[in-house]
Amino acid sequence: MTESPEDLNFPNAVVTRIIKEALLDGVNISKEPRSAISRAASVFMLSATYWANNFAMKGKRKPLNASDVLSAMEEMEFQRFITLLKDALEAYKREKKGKKEASEQKKRDKGKKTDSEEPDKSRDEDTDEDEERLEEEQNEDEEVDN
Amino acid sequence: MAAAAAGSGTPREEEGPGGEAVAPPPQAPTGAPGARLSRLPLARVKALVKADPDVTLAGQEAIFILARAAELFVETIAKDAYCCAQQGKRKTLQRRDLDNAIEAVDEFAFLEDYLGLSGHTQSNQMNS
Repeated sequence: MTESPEDLNFPNAVVTRIIKEALLDGVNISKEPRSAISRAASVFMLSATYWANNFAMKGKRKPLNASDVLSAMEEMEFQRFITLLKDALEAYKREKKGKKEASEQKKRDKGKKTDSEEPDKSRDEDTDEDEERLEEEQNEDEEVDN
Repeated sequence: MAAAAAGSGTPREEEGPGGEAVAPPPQAPTGAPGARLSRLPLARVKALVKADPDVTLAGQEAIFILARAAELFVETIAKDAYCCAQQGKRKTLQRRDLDNAIEAVDEFAFLEDYLGLSGHTQSNQMNS
């Protein structure tokens, strides 16, 4: 790894909050172990990325996907995280879908005001694909800049 | 024909003008710790992922899952370190508690080289 993990630490405040909520009330953590945990989290993530990328390459896929990351967890012997991560992923997908549907509903409402005779079904599917492609393109734009 | 999502066996579905069932607005996930959305900033997670020269693209779901995994990791290692502090009847986590947890738990073995357990700083280790 060429980058020093210290350059890519997470915000101290966020790490501290996560630690405090994991521990009981009244338990403190001094500065040194807190920053060590923050560095450890960065190392963990770099390691997980490395393994996830391995799985993606094995599957001859370029973008890392969620299942690659889950496979990485298994490889790193963090199976205990997998169920929770799957739950989190479902919640994330639901929220994304909800936002998408809300914005599409708004478009439909706007369309009703102007000219609403045509069925919107195919248009909705197209918008889905476009939005996904847009997100991928946005990611691509950001990711290729290495 | 849109399939019934709830599986409650209703024989007839209501359809909107577009031909699709109108879904109720989703509620924000609460309660279950696994369902909580990530606290770590996704932009920082993306920066870490980009740090790997072999990675060119990462989907949004992958970024989110990585953020959530890192959060779980922080919780886990903090709790394991706390067990060591408890044995010493202390209420403040110290560095040695973390070191002990890393040595004791197999899954944390990958951290040993990076956190300078033997007392060397990271730059010393990289030079040697």
